[in-house]
Amino acid sequence: MPDAPAIAVRGLRKCYGDFEAVKDISFEVAQGEVFGLLGPNGAGKTTTVEILEGLRPRTAGDVRVLGFDPASETMAVKDRIGVSLQATNLPDKIRVLEAAELFASFYSRQTSIETLLHRLQLWDKRAAFYSTLSGGQKQRLALALALVNDPQILFLDEPTTGLDPQVRLEIHTLIEELRDQQRTILLTTHYIEEAERLCHRVAIVDEGRVIAIGTPRDLQQRILGHTRVEIECQHPLPIEPPNGWSAEFPLVFTNDRKQLTVAHPKPAHAVLELVKWVDACGAGLEDIHIRRPTLEDVFIQLTGKKLRD
Amino acid sequence: MINLRAYSAYIRSTLLLTLRDRTVLFFSYLFPLIFFIAFGEGFGAAQGAGAATQVIVMVLVLGVLGNGFFGGGMRATFERETGILRRFKVAPITPVPILVASIVTGLVIYMPAVFLFFGIARFRYGLAFPEHWFSLLFFLTFGVVAFRSMGLIVASVVNSMAESQIIIQLLYFPMLLLSGATIPLSALPEWLQVVAQFLPATHLYLGMQGILMRNESAMDQLAAIGALSLATLVCLFIGVKLFRWEKDDRLKPSAKLWVAAALLPFLLIGGWQAYSQENLRKTKMIDREQRRSLSWLIRDARIFTGDGEVIESGAVLVRGGRIEAVWPGRGPDPDTVRAELLEAAGRTLLPGFIDAWIQLPPETGDQQRALAALLYCGITGVGVGTERPGLLNELAARIRDGETLGAAITGFAPPEPPAGPSLAAREWLDSSVPEPVLLGRSLTQQVLPPDRRATLAQFMRGWRDRPEPGDARPAPNPPYSAAGLWNLPHGPSFHRQLQLMAAAGVEPVDILHRVTEGAAQRFGLENVGRIRPGADADLLLVDGNPLEDISATERIVAVFSKGERVNRSALLEH
Repeated sequence: MPDAPAIAVRGLRKCYGDFEAVKDISFEVAQGEVFGLLGPNGAGKTTTVEILEGLRPRTAGDVRVLGFDPASETMAVKDRIGVSLQATNLPDKIRVLEAAELFASFYSRQTSIETLLHRLQLWDKRAAFYSTLSGGQKQRLALALALVNDPQILFLDEPTTGLDPQVRLEIHTLIEELRDQQRTILLTTHYIEEAERLCHRVAIVDEGRVIAIGTPRDLQQRILGHTRVEIECQHPLPIEPPNGWSAEFPLVFTNDRKQLTVAHPKPAHAVLELVKWVDACGAGLEDIHIRRPTLEDVFIQLTGKKLRD
Repeated sequence: MINLRAYSAYIRSTLLLTLRDRTVLFFSYLFPLIFFIAFGEGFGAAQGAGAATQVIVMVLVLGVLGNGFFGGGMRATFERETGILRRFKVAPITPVPILVASIVTGLVIYMPAVFLFFGIARFRYGLAFPEHWFSLLFFLTFGVVAFRSMGLIVASVVNSMAESQIIIQLLYFPMLLLSGATIPLSALPEWLQVVAQFLPATHLYLGMQGILMRNESAMDQLAAIGALSLATLVCLFIGVKLFRWEKDDRLKPSAKLWVAAALLPFLLIGGWQAYSQENLRKTKMIDREQRRSLSWLIRDARIFTGDGEVIESGAVLVRGGRIEAVWPGRGPDPDTVRAELLEAAGRTLLPGFIDAWIQLPPETGDQQRALAALLYCGITGVGVGTERPGLLNELAARIRDGETLGAAITGFAPPEPPAGPSLAAREWLDSSVPEPVLLGRSLTQQVLPPDRRATLAQFMRGWRDRPEPGDARPAPNPPYSAAGLWNLPHGPSFHRQLQLMAAAGVEPVDILHRVTEGAAQRFGLENVGRIRPGADADLLLVDGNPLEDISATERIVAVFSKGERVNRSALLEH
């Protein structure tokens, strides 16, 4: 079944005693797709992912990972997936190569550890103790350990949380490489930029429910509609709009009339028209911004609260 | 899915990590080594196999406890609490390889220490390698595995490092203090000794002592091995059942009751021991073996060797319950022969006396007291006049094995004294009736209730009025006290007998020969009644020279029984 989804979740529910961590979550992840679960802390992302990884039983719902039920066919699932959890650790005195070899021994499928460590720029560090690694190196090792079995699905739970920006960039590049190799990846994050940059599709999760699902661009357009174009000039602009400008997209000026903003579904077309007009008026073009609504905007729009508190 | 490759890789990795952990090496080797040396020097391990063995067993038990609770339990808790185990949770493995790797690592880390300590003990204290070394290693394997499993079960029921610290200390210290490893079991009150039978470490300690001190094999420790293996199985079963990969998986408080199940085998064996008292006897025997194994150098003594010869000044070395060497003159330096020194200038060393005919009371407790009184007086062997020697076989064995301290039952004789009442008995009869006071200088006191005194007086009068059986026989051969007849006290009567014989004109050297080597020959024994290499170290050290004044035999300085310097005042406490 080449077209069967790698992951299928329908009506997932999970309770801890009286607390309902996951209320109703459904989504599918296709083969070769990078899928993001985006939401604030406590939204139920990690619980969902851990149920998929076979680490927790679920309360209700139907879950398939590579066609297996992670609750009853746990070992089959664990053997075929790669996982990078948040808040894990390795013993201080384990060497990089030893850790990779140890984890490789648990799986029925293996990949070349040497190639893997080279690719993650860890080969030169192969004899280093875990405790001597930097944050980025530790995170790269976590990725390496998730890849030792050449997994059919890679689960990355908050892969860049707590890392400094430069290291985050480094990890993003690595994940992009994996995406380009057509790997199926399920990634959770509360960083909008991360989801926008890395994911083919995103599900926005809040308080145990999926509140929106689609490509990042889809979500933006569906929810907020248009891209905003901002233009800055040296001299005030005339009151009359350009000839043939549709009243559907009103131009909004600042008080000194040196800046205008417009929301438009075809930003490229709008920019072309407006630049011509500014030039013709001799207002002296200073700067142009094309601002797409971000997932952050989407999230605020949908939930009325910010992603990070 | 679980393959051998995962097991071997996990075991290899755990081992490597453990070897890289300096604290593990410290607690497994350096810390016991410090204990070993401190206690070895302090206990005088050089002066006897018993003390050296006690120190080795202490260090080995300490090692097993540390290995199990700190190495196994604390480490497993740490790995869970710091999120290391969580990383393994996502891999397709079960808890079994993790538990197995911990146990295997425990064994591999522990075993070299055994060889190290025996090596040092041999080099430094001259302790021979254990005869049943295979049994020892076999038994220790069960011990290490069981305690490691117990450590893991602690890890599986606690919810934090602090909790594991508390529970481990609660298990570790009672076992350290009550198992016999540090404080000798025989020094504890009897009820505490019974309590100790419920502690797993006690069985470990007694098993090792049995193998080392009493030359038992692993087969003699089957009950202990059974309890240890049962505990291992229960612990592993529960360990897998309660296994948690991350600290966020909290355990219900009721699940902690599972630990009780892990201790169940020891409740069973402890209950059985409390009922059978077998280990309490074993404890006494081990304690006795240790006392018997001390080495002594008795120096500058006049030595009466038993065969009538006298070394005016010489030295005797006692080791392992036997006389190892006899030197005329000053003898060696005590340090070079690793022995405790007993200065004996102006004193005379004799073989322990043998009282050739006594009677014992009917009750076992009274029999024990009588034999203890005899030993108190330097009489290390007795011939017991009885119709039914079979009844005394058990008591004889208990004294031989050291469970009870007293004069050895050297042999049996007919129920009547061979040549009528002894001189001492006749004097006892002739003394004032009905309130007989023995000898004026009695070493033990006869305290009789008034009704028994009257009966006694009647008895004595009856005997006295009997016609004399021929002559007075001043010198029966071998001499005896006839103690026990008409409540004639055990011990003092014998010394009085010797004095009466001397008064009757027998030469002291002749008397002393007849109560030592002469009596031994009469009972067909080669190894008692003599001071010569290879003989049992049954010895009597007295002030003065009994060869000139026979009453010197009552001025007792020390009594040795099978190499043990008898604590004489403690003998009569019961």
